[in-house]
Amino acid sequence: MASSCSQALRHHVCKSSRLLRVHLQKSWTNRSFEGAVCVSSSFALNSAADQQPAVSSPEEIVIPKKKTWSKEAVLQALASTVKRDPTASDYRFQDDPYLTPKTSSEFKLFSLSQESGRNAAKYFINTYPKYFQKDYAQPHIPCLMPDTLEAQIEEVSEAALIERIGMRKVKAAVDLYDQLLQAGTSVSLDVTNQLLDLICFYGDHDPAQENVPEQRNEETEDVQDEPQAKKGRAAKASDLLKATWKEKNNAERIFALLSEPNKHSYSALIRGMVKYGAYSKAFSTYTDLLNSRLKADMHMFNALITAAPEVKEKYNEKWELIVDLLKQMAEQKVRPNLLTLNAVLKALRRCGTVGKSQAFPVISEMKALSIDLSLASYTHLLAIFYKPGAPIQGQTDILQEVMNEVSGKSFTPQDPDDAQFFITAMRICLDTKDMEQAYRVHELLGVGENWRLLGNDFQQNIYYARFFSLLCMMENIDVMLKWYRDLVPSVYYPSSNVMRDLLQALDTDNRLDLIPQIWKDIKQLGHANRQNLVEELLTLMAREKHNQEVQESFAECALDIKKIYDTGDRGKVLLNWTAGSLSDLISVLLAAHRRQDAWDMLKLFKTHNRVPSEELLNKFLMCVKEGGEVNQAVELVQISAGFCLPGTPKLIQRVQQEFELTEQQRKMLSDLEIQSFNSE
Amino acid sequence: MYRRLLININQVRNRLIHTHNTRLTLPSTKCKERESFAPVTWAPCTARPLGTSSISFSENKESSTSLSEDKGKTPEETELETEPVVKPEDRKQVETTKSGKESLLELLGAMKVEVTTVRKIRPSKTPRMSERPDQEPMESTHSMFQRAAAEGSQQHGTLNPALVAAVSAAASTLPNRHQAESELLKQLRKHEAIPDTQRRADIGHIISDMKVGKRPNGRSNVRPTSQIRFDDDGKGYTQDRGITSELDGVRRRKSPFTSKRLNLFAAAAEQDALSDLGPTLWDIDLVNQIVQATNQMPRNGFEEMIQWTKEGRLWQYPINNEAGLEEEASVPFHEHVFLEKHLDESFPQQGPVRHFMELVITGLAKNHHLTVQQKKEHIDWFRDYFRQKEDVLKEAEAYLN
Repeated sequence: MASSCSQALRHHVCKSSRLLRVHLQKSWTNRSFEGAVCVSSSFALNSAADQQPAVSSPEEIVIPKKKTWSKEAVLQALASTVKRDPTASDYRFQDDPYLTPKTSSEFKLFSLSQESGRNAAKYFINTYPKYFQKDYAQPHIPCLMPDTLEAQIEEVSEAALIERIGMRKVKAAVDLYDQLLQAGTSVSLDVTNQLLDLICFYGDHDPAQENVPEQRNEETEDVQDEPQAKKGRAAKASDLLKATWKEKNNAERIFALLSEPNKHSYSALIRGMVKYGAYSKAFSTYTDLLNSRLKADMHMFNALITAAPEVKEKYNEKWELIVDLLKQMAEQKVRPNLLTLNAVLKALRRCGTVGKSQAFPVISEMKALSIDLSLASYTHLLAIFYKPGAPIQGQTDILQEVMNEVSGKSFTPQDPDDAQFFITAMRICLDTKDMEQAYRVHELLGVGENWRLLGNDFQQNIYYARFFSLLCMMENIDVMLKWYRDLVPSVYYPSSNVMRDLLQALDTDNRLDLIPQIWKDIKQLGHANRQNLVEELLTLMAREKHNQEVQESFAECALDIKKIYDTGDRGKVLLNWTAGSLSDLISVLLAAHRRQDAWDMLKLFKTHNRVPSEELLNKFLMCVKEGGEVNQAVELVQISAGFCLPGTPKLIQRVQQEFELTEQQRKMLSDLEIQSFNSE
Repeated sequence: MYRRLLININQVRNRLIHTHNTRLTLPSTKCKERESFAPVTWAPCTARPLGTSSISFSENKESSTSLSEDKGKTPEETELETEPVVKPEDRKQVETTKSGKESLLELLGAMKVEVTTVRKIRPSKTPRMSERPDQEPMESTHSMFQRAAAEGSQQHGTLNPALVAAVSAAASTLPNRHQAESELLKQLRKHEAIPDTQRRADIGHIISDMKVGKRPNGRSNVRPTSQIRFDDDGKGYTQDRGITSELDGVRRRKSPFTSKRLNLFAAAAEQDALSDLGPTLWDIDLVNQIVQATNQMPRNGFEEMIQWTKEGRLWQYPINNEAGLEEEASVPFHEHVFLEKHLDESFPQQGPVRHFMELVITGLAKNHHLTVQQKKEHIDWFRDYFRQKEDVLKEAEAYLN
């Protein structure tokens, strides 16, 4: 009853309020006070009435989908809150402040020794597994336990073969396979294919064990670690060079034994041939495959496309072969993937001008097949259009187009060449002196996980060296110094050449007053023993006159440099005084009115058998005159005469005129004058 | 940047002269003209009388074709005259392969012709010109320029007084006259030291220098990259550059990434049945290569923990309430709670043992520390126990079955 009553009332109020509103709009000016009260109350009711139907209408309940989180989700969220600290060194070195690297060589040494320590531990665990059987971890942690390196199954069986394939023992597996065949047991096609994979992958050689130093005999396994490790590495490098596809190797032999090789067997063989440089052989195997009415798979095509530029000479022939392969892919209904695209683009790098015209159609084709480009694709694209060393012919826009495409995207590594993108792009920026694109490249580096694609320490160093040289060249000094403070030395240890670029940039922007600071950095970066760099620094300091404060700091810096010259490293002289460096140093000291220090330096000319310039001695005399030191002036003349400088007579004249000399000094000077006269 | 350019000066000066000359010849004439209209202010962007523009264009054509043999004007003059100009719409891309010297001559020649054309044309537009302030000071400057130029062509070695006069005259047109003058003279003296052969190239360079400071509004749509190419050492400069920059706009509208495709593959090719045996050795190797190529070093403690978690060395951070439920994840909750079914025939149906066991399963149902298996074992233990004690229980009449 009550509810129906209120309903009716509400209805009424609604109506009246509507009327009232109309009325109000008409005669807003002559409204009464009562009317206003009535309107406000009706509005309150009205709003309640509006809510009613919303609640009562059947609303569909949408159950949100269950969200699955990866097990690292929390850590990832936490990690994303940590920003790089430009004042801190790499995370690897934060455990021990003593081992914070200050130079690039220290960085290399420390990071490598950390890695080799890990490898050594792993080596011992794997070599002596019986001492590492105690399993403390609860639950069990497999990666902390020793790997089994010895085959467990001794008998001759297919299971033993599978085990040896799993352990990647090429020779043992081949032997076992032969034994099996001799015993008359047939091996299934799948296992044989796996064996073929293994042989082709390693090119019929046993893989060099990771983390394990080479051991030839039991006898040589003595204390001589280091030379042996070096020998081992050299052997590895040469292995890689000489590892080629041999005629009639085990893979071909086993392949020939197969009664009905399938797609997989061919695929293994072709990929192995391409990997080990038997390119034309790979193509003939491919023809065999077609003759036996089999279809190729994608990996086979990828390998063949990689091999295509090797078997043809001319650019257009190479390209025709690639197109032919792609057509066959389409015919055989093999779907290309990203690696196909990258293989084609990589092959186009070696097709000269054809590459330039065909690169974009290829990319469009792949995009039409909804293949997303990876950074490696862009790397190849850039390499097609910008050949290192070649003149850049109005192609800056290609880099810009590429940057338009990739900007703001986060890439996941999908191709080993992905890691080349950043250094390639930065090289092009440096070649074209394109600061704007360089900033875009650097910005891209900060997006998502892209920093991983910058590659290893070596590549990082190249990248930052390029970026920084470009900054030195193109950017004004304040911006450049901002970057300098940001990058050095937390991610980048500049080489001495880059430091010289920096000095030149300081010079061009007239900020030579920063030199003392830079010198400190140079010292810390371990470039204080670079003669060129130090001499350039001295020249820059000596060249112009600055205000007193700057000169004072220059003088301090110069004395610091002198110390480097003096000390040397373990009795070895690091730097040799030259006449130029000595006179520059003295000029700096004189400009700061450090006569005594300069005087000490002047004596070094004699000890190091260098000859001072006349100009320097004149400058010195001026300074001596300011101080009014008569004795020093005379001594200066003596030094000058000692070097038999042609300007000595003039110097004597000046001293005679400008100083008040005692009788004895006068006599000495005239003696010197005669002497120098005679010597001439 | 200005100084930076001077540093790079030695690398590629000849090319620079090309660019700048072809671009500068025409605008320079216009500037000159404006100069004669408002000689004293020399404001870079003063409102230009509309009427003159058409005239200037006609002059442009004239001056671009006519070459005078005037030579050796000092760089400072060109600097001053060309500074406020360079408008792209005026920039006619003359694709010449003249040597640096020739194009310099052309540039300078064009300027001189301009002087004369201004005079020639003046009578024809006298009604307008007469309203302008007098041109006397500028006239004298012009004559001085010419004199200086004539002499400068013969003697490069010394800083002749005419040059100095020209410089001061030129400087007088600038706002802070003394500074400008001294700068110009300094620049001149520097050039005395430079061997004659390098000189012309440097002129081209100074022209380029002067352009840098000025960002003409018309060029703002051209990308800064091309500006850098022009202004800097011009390493990438080639003859087709002019065309490229003009075509830039056209090219930008159509990205090369949307170019036509090869049309080899059908767009909806069916997916090949890929997975036969799981990852092969090659797949593993590819992944390995990618890992080797990329930077896997953690950047902070959390990333290191992520790495450890992936390796299985670290306890996982809980991401929901089921953390650590590996073995129980597949067991539904009722298995935990309803345990009566385990109290089957092996226990008495009633009596104290039954009662006790009901209490046990109630307790077990509420226990969240034990797995279902452990709960079953718990019940089984009691089953065995009561079975062993069956005699005793029966004696006490507690075991009722």
